[in-house]
Amino acid sequence: MTIHFGRAFSELAPSLFDALKTVTLLAILAFALALMIGMLIAVGRISGNKILDRFLIVLLEIIRGTPLLVQLLYVYYVVPELISFVVSFFVPDFHMNFGAFEAGVIGLGINYGCYMSEIFRSSILAIDKGQNEAALALGYTKHQALRKIIFPQSIRISLPALGNYLVMLLKDTSLCAFITLGEIILTTQSYAAQTFLTIESYTIAALVYLVACIPLGYLVRVLERRVTKYV
Amino acid sequence: MSKSIIEIQDLHKQFGNVEVLKGIDLVVKESEKVVILGPSGSGKSTLLRCINYLEYPTQGSVKINGNAFEDKNRKNQEKHIALLRTEVGMVFQKFNLFHHLTALGNVMAALVTIKGLSKVEAKQIAEFNLEKVGLLEKAKNYPSQLSGGQQQRVAIARALAMDPKVMLFDESTSALDPELVGEVLRVIRGLAEDGMTMVLVTHEMKFAKDVADRIVFMDNGVIVEDSPPEVFFNNPSTERAKQFIMQEDY
Repeated sequence: MTIHFGRAFSELAPSLFDALKTVTLLAILAFALALMIGMLIAVGRISGNKILDRFLIVLLEIIRGTPLLVQLLYVYYVVPELISFVVSFFVPDFHMNFGAFEAGVIGLGINYGCYMSEIFRSSILAIDKGQNEAALALGYTKHQALRKIIFPQSIRISLPALGNYLVMLLKDTSLCAFITLGEIILTTQSYAAQTFLTIESYTIAALVYLVACIPLGYLVRVLERRVTKYV
Repeated sequence: MSKSIIEIQDLHKQFGNVEVLKGIDLVVKESEKVVILGPSGSGKSTLLRCINYLEYPTQGSVKINGNAFEDKNRKNQEKHIALLRTEVGMVFQKFNLFHHLTALGNVMAALVTIKGLSKVEAKQIAEFNLEKVGLLEKAKNYPSQLSGGQQQRVAIARALAMDPKVMLFDESTSALDPELVGEVLRVIRGLAEDGMTMVLVTHEMKFAKDVADRIVFMDNGVIVEDSPPEVFFNNPSTERAKQFIMQEDY
């Protein structure tokens, strides 16, 4: 048995490069969605509205208690069916589908949003109560104090953890292979199956993830340094 | 006769089952300096925090410059309370400067966000007030780069910049190293000389004696004595106040 890294690389690299572009875009969009969802859940949970808090806890438990892969499959296969089923009562012959990419953004976004909400929530709660009181005493409303005084400080606390989540998200895009997205794993799999270059193909795929993640870690450290300049 | 800046009527405050304030009546006139004294747990700080509604009273009313904080008929209660708080400056024991803003940013923040001033106007007012507390050259420093005394002076400038009708000082020198207390007291004394209306909770007895027009002595949630400092310190009318002055070795 001989190893053909050169051949595998030259044949696989171009399609992996396209796949990496897809994955990067997917990760960015899903992360942006997760940031929004995470913030909203965090703010909802500390708002003091008990019913909203309960509802959000149930949502969190559902997301935490089921595998991400199942959620992706659910968003891709089940949700469009459900929507079609309900809407077809009002609009005959209605049928909808998500593309694999859209389903990936939604599934990853919701999943990571739920996990990240706990980071936002704990980093908001970590800010000294005196900060809020000083703002209120100056005439800020609760909302203004949260937005202008508490948030900017809590971001600093949550940044390292958010960086971790971004790296994890990038790697978890690989699960989208199961919902037919032409990402890195699916591309590698089909090449390996055609050429039997198993060792080479999967090693290259692993290296692509590694190479993509290292600059992210660097980026997070740079950002951290920028926001902690006043500590 | 000068007008009343603070009017407190029958103020009660309860935390759970504990009644911390048991019916406080207090009027503070324009440019008066009132020092609240009392043993710890007597409700001094709670009273001060009720004056700007950081604590909502359980019962009774607080008026600032004739405006009541609470009115059952008012629709947007939170907005009104926030607006009324702009007329009451507060300086805390632990400074509570906004850590993510420079000294200048701390003083400017509320001017821009709450008063709606432009950055240029806000900067002018902020610099004027930093100058007043002697810290204009530290304008670009973050709180973490300032000493406790400097932080507290910035906090005073921040409160002053809002042009309040009255300033509340909640043990504003208690968290400071002894050698830093003086610089903060000097600034507060300067304000007193400028005619600012002030209510202070402090443990600095000598300072209280010098600055106060009235000493309000609290014990166990009620006002026990309310008299000029000469009277309070030399000839207190209640046994409780006598004990307190004896204990506090000033």
